Amino acid sequence: MPLRNTAEAYGSLSKFLHWAIVLLIVPQYFLAEAAEELPDGLEKLQLIDWHKSLGMLVLLLALARIGWKVMNRGMPGPIGEPWQRKVAAAGHGLLYLLILAQPISGWAMSSAANYPVTLFGWFQFPALVAENHDLHESLEEVHEVLFFLMLAVAVVHILAALYHHFVLKDGVLRRMLPFSRP
Amino acid sequence: MNARRAGILVLLAALALASAASAASAAAITWTVDPAHSQLTFHPRLAGGEFAGRFERFEATIRFDPADLAHSSLLVVVDLLGARTGDTDRDTALQGSDFFQTTRWPKGTFTSTGIKSLGGGRYAATGKLTLRDVTRDVRVQFRFDSPAPSGGAARMTGSSNVRRLEFGVGQGDWRSTEWLDDAVRIEFDLALRGVR
Repeated sequence: MPLRNTAEAYGSLSKFLHWAIVLLIVPQYFLAEAAEELPDGLEKLQLIDWHKSLGMLVLLLALARIGWKVMNRGMPGPIGEPWQRKVAAAGHGLLYLLILAQPISGWAMSSAANYPVTLFGWFQFPALVAENHDLHESLEEVHEVLFFLMLAVAVVHILAALYHHFVLKDGVLRRMLPFSRP
Repeated sequence: MNARRAGILVLLAALALASAASAASAAAITWTVDPAHSQLTFHPRLAGGEFAGRFERFEATIRFDPADLAHSSLLVVVDLLGARTGDTDRDTALQGSDFFQTTRWPKGTFTSTGIKSLGGGRYAATGKLTLRDVTRDVRVQFRFDSPAPSGGAARMTGSSNVRRLEFGVGQGDWRSTEWLDDAVRIEFDLALRGVR
């Protein structure tokens, strides 16, 4: 499997970034929900720290994924009717936007409450905004709304992929599956 | 008593007064802090990242003269109820029994025991810091910048590294240093005005 994308399938780096981001995002909801249940204390701090570190990792991988996409124009061409291509492009664009906006809103939310944001304690990111209680409260809502929006778009994305695979049987899903060959 | 003897007596009296005044000025200059342009902050490391909190209320009694360090002293009383970190949950936790426990010990105090020059306008003070019911020796390093050495306006900026666990700041889970470091840097930037 080539590193770069080809006209038939995504390359190994695109696939790796796609699936790594999926695997990192899935536990995020559960970490946040579990932390919410806990009283203030060390356990809560640990869960939130994991949530924040994973989120920042998603942000870095999302930037890499978008950068690689821009550098790698030879990706698999679109399939389907012109309107389907338009909807697919819009959906993908929205997903890219959300996997950037979600960690950035969380980062800003931490900064507004004067909490440090690190990558597993190895590296501290600078504060994105100044300490501001009201802004923190607003960003908390933004972070939650963005999550449900991301969930909705991801569900459509998955349903579309399954529709291509099982109904249209056009090999679109296989182009992004790990270890698969076109 | 003739006029000449009276004149000499007046002169002697004046000299005595003048020498008394100069003896008084041998005690270092007293400075007041302008709270609007001064800050006292603390910098803990939480989960590998540093953040800053501030003590919004403190009183400092500063006697300081670079030329007379033997008579110089620092006394700082911090109202721990004024500790703010930008997050109400964390502020509440700081007041609680795991940290300052302000219901029992609302104040922190620092009293210097000695000040020496490090050269170049820098100084090191040793002193006693009291938090909760524990008093320990700490060292404070600072700069003193004054355009006019005998008074007027001056700035005192410095820091100290405090080990919170020596003072019991961190009970229960917070005795662990895995998520909250033991060392907490204290920083201050004081706008001073000389009052003698």
